[in-house]
Amino acid sequence: MAVDTVGELGFPYWNPLRRRFPPDSPFFASGNVERELLAKQVALDFTEDEITNLQTIVETESRRISCPIVGCPERLKSLDNFEDHYKTRHTASCSVCSRVYPTSRLLSIHISEAHDSFFQAKVARGYDMYECLVEGCGLKFKSYKARHRHLIDKHKFPTTFEFFKRTQLSKKRREKLQRQRVPKLKHEEDKEEASSDAMEVEDKASLDGLVSALSTLTTSDTTPSNVSFGRRHGRGLTFVPRSVHREKPTNSSSTPGSKT
Amino acid sequence: MDGGGLIFGLMGGRQQAVTAGTIGDDEEHPHVENEMMIDEEQPVLEAQTSKAVEELKSTVQYQVTALRELRRLLSKSEFPPIEAALSAGAVPLLVQCLSFGSPDEQLLESAWCLTNIAAGKPEETKALLPALPLLIAHLGGLKKLSAEQCSWAIGNVAGEGEDLRNVLLSQGALPPLARMIFPDKGSTVRTAAWALSNLIKGPESKAAAQLVRVDGMVDAILRHLKKSDEEIATEIAWIVVYLSALSDIATSMLLKGGILQLLVERLATSNSLQLLIPVLRSLGNFVSVDPKAMLAILIGGKNTEDTDIPDQIPESVTGVLAKCLRSEHRVLKKEAAWVLSNIAAGSIEHKRMIHSTEAMSLLIGLLSTSPFDIRKEVAYVLGSLCVESAEGDTKPKIIQEQLVSIVSGGCLPGFINLVRSPDIEAARLGLQFIELVLRGMPNGEGSKIVEGEDGIDAMERFQFHENEELGVIANSLVDKYFGEDYGINE
Repeated sequence: MAVDTVGELGFPYWNPLRRRFPPDSPFFASGNVERELLAKQVALDFTEDEITNLQTIVETESRRISCPIVGCPERLKSLDNFEDHYKTRHTASCSVCSRVYPTSRLLSIHISEAHDSFFQAKVARGYDMYECLVEGCGLKFKSYKARHRHLIDKHKFPTTFEFFKRTQLSKKRREKLQRQRVPKLKHEEDKEEASSDAMEVEDKASLDGLVSALSTLTTSDTTPSNVSFGRRHGRGLTFVPRSVHREKPTNSSSTPGSKT
Repeated sequence: MDGGGLIFGLMGGRQQAVTAGTIGDDEEHPHVENEMMIDEEQPVLEAQTSKAVEELKSTVQYQVTALRELRRLLSKSEFPPIEAALSAGAVPLLVQCLSFGSPDEQLLESAWCLTNIAAGKPEETKALLPALPLLIAHLGGLKKLSAEQCSWAIGNVAGEGEDLRNVLLSQGALPPLARMIFPDKGSTVRTAAWALSNLIKGPESKAAAQLVRVDGMVDAILRHLKKSDEEIATEIAWIVVYLSALSDIATSMLLKGGILQLLVERLATSNSLQLLIPVLRSLGNFVSVDPKAMLAILIGGKNTEDTDIPDQIPESVTGVLAKCLRSEHRVLKKEAAWVLSNIAAGSIEHKRMIHSTEAMSLLIGLLSTSPFDIRKEVAYVLGSLCVESAEGDTKPKIIQEQLVSIVSGGCLPGFINLVRSPDIEAARLGLQFIELVLRGMPNGEGSKIVEGEDGIDAMERFQFHENEELGVIANSLVDKYFGEDYGINE
C-alpha cells in the first residue's frame, strides 16, 4: 500500500489505498488461532445430570430448597438447580473423567497430569512438572513416583496413598456416585444393586484416605474449572428421543429390545 | 447375547486389563506410567472399542444397543480411541446403520460415532468418505436431533481441508445444510451454522457464491445477526466473514440488507471476544472491498439519491472502532486499526470523520506503546489521514491541517521508530511519513522537527543498507532536505 506514485526524485510518495486481505492471509493469523482449534469438535457424552435434567421436574414458584451444606446460604428453586449448585459449589469434579477432588487446586493438578498432553511433553523433556500436593511446599518433581516418594518421606503421607488412582470404577459409576453424594432429596432414581456396595466402599476409602492425608488443607467451597475442548450437546435439549432418556447404565437388569 | 451380557462382558474385560499391569511398581519404565497417565483408561478403552465394533457386526437385531456402547466409548474424552475403531472396521458398519428407513435413534448414534471419528487426525477424518452421501442425505430428515448430528459430522469433515470441502460440495452438501439455519433458534441452528462456516471458508470462492444464491439465505443471516444469542451470532458472523471476503454478490446483497448497522450494533453491545473478532473482520472486509460500504459510513446522509443504500450509519462506526482500540485484546486493536486505515484511505470527509473523534488520541497513544503489528496498522491510519488519494501519476496532496495536528500530537517519534525496525514494509512507511513531514509542514519547519527527533540519524542508517530501495529513498530525502544548504540562514 501507500506506494507507487513515483515523483521527480523517484520517491514513492504516500498514497492512501485500501488494503484487502483474503481470509487465509497471514494477516489474520493471530485472530484465527482460536477458531482453528474449533475446526473440528468432538461430541461428548450426555452426563447423567443432563439426562436427569431432561426429565423436567415441575417446580412450584414458592418452594425453595435450602442447601444442606453447613455454612452455605443458597436457596435453590428446584432439584435441578440444587444439583447444579451442589455440583459446582461443593464438589470439584473433573469434567473429563469425573474423578472428584476435595479442592479445586487438586482438581487442576489432576487435570494437568492426567489430561494435558503439553504437560506430558514437558515431562518428556525433563522439566520438573509434578507439583507437591501440599499447598505451600512448592517443590516440583520430574516424575509421579518422585513426587510420591516426597509426599511419603517429607509430608508423612500413608504409603498406600495414591493421588491418581487407577480405579476399577467406570466413569459412569463415578458420576453416579457423585450424584449419590448429593444429600438425598431425589425421589425417583434407579439405584444400583447391593453388589455394587463393595466398589462403593473402595472408592470412598480412597477418597477418605486422600482427605485425611491432606488434613492440613482446608476444604473450601470451590468452583472447578471446566476443561473441555469437545462440546457437549446443549443443555436443556427441547427434543430428545425417549429411548435416549432411558440410558441408565445398569449391570444386570437391562433387557434389550424393550427400549423404544 | 443380550445387552446385559454385553455390558458384563465388557466390564469383565476391563477388570482383567487393569489387574494385568500393576502400575506404580515399575521403576524401570516411567514412560509406560506416563503414557497411562495421559488417559489411564486408553488401552482399556481401545480394547473395549474393538470389542464393541465386533458386537456391532454380530448382533444384527440389537444393533442400537451395540451402537450406543460404541458411541459411549467414542465420546468419553476429547481424545477418543479412533484408531482402534477404524482398524476394527467401524466405518462400513456405521455406513450401513445410516441406510434409509433406519430408526432415528440408530441414525443419531451412528452419526455421533462418525462425528467423533472425524474429529481426529486428517487420515481419520478422510475415513468418513464412504459415509458422506448418507450423512448429507439425512440432513434433510425431519428428525432434528439426528439431522443435527449429521451436520456436526459434516462440519468436522469440512474443517479438515479444501479437498474434503470440495468433495462435500460436489455431493450437494451445501443446500440442505444451509436450510438448517432458517429456524430462529436452537442448537441445530448453531451446529449447522458452524458446519456451514467450515464448508465455505475457501480459499476458493465457489461455495460462498453458491451459498448466497440459496433462497432466503441473506434474510436468515441478517435476522440472526440482529436477534439471535451470541453463540449463534458468532457462527453466523464467521459465515459473513467468508462471504464478504469471497463473494462480491454476497457483499452487495448483504449491504443492501443493512448489514453494516447490525455489525456496528454487535460491536457496540457485545463483550465476547469470540463474537467480536468475526464481526469486526466482516466490517473490515466490507469496507475494504465495497465503495458503497464506505459511503454508508459517512455521516450526514449525503447520498440520498442512491436508493441502494439504506439509512446512513451515524458516526458510531468510529465509536465502536474506538471501543476495539481500547480493548485489551491484541487482535481487536490490530484489526480495528486496519479497518480505520481503510476508512482513512477514503474521501476527505472520511478523514475528517476519524480525525474528529476519540479515536485520534487512542491511535497516537498506540503508536508509541503497542506491539509491533498494531503499530504498523496505526501508522497506516495516521499517514493516510494526512494525504488525499491521488489518481494516476500525480503527486498525492498533503492535507496540511491534519498533518500539523497529528505531528503536534507527538507521533513523529513513533514513525521514526518504524524506520529503525527490521521490517521492510514498516521502515518504508516510516520514510514515507517523514517525507510528508519534510514536504508538508508549514514554513519549512519539517526539517527541524525531523532533525530534532533524530530522524536524520535513522535515515542515514540506510546508507549502506542491504535493501537498495530503502537506501535510495532514504538518501534522496537526506540529500534534498538536509543537503549542503541546510542550516544556512536565509
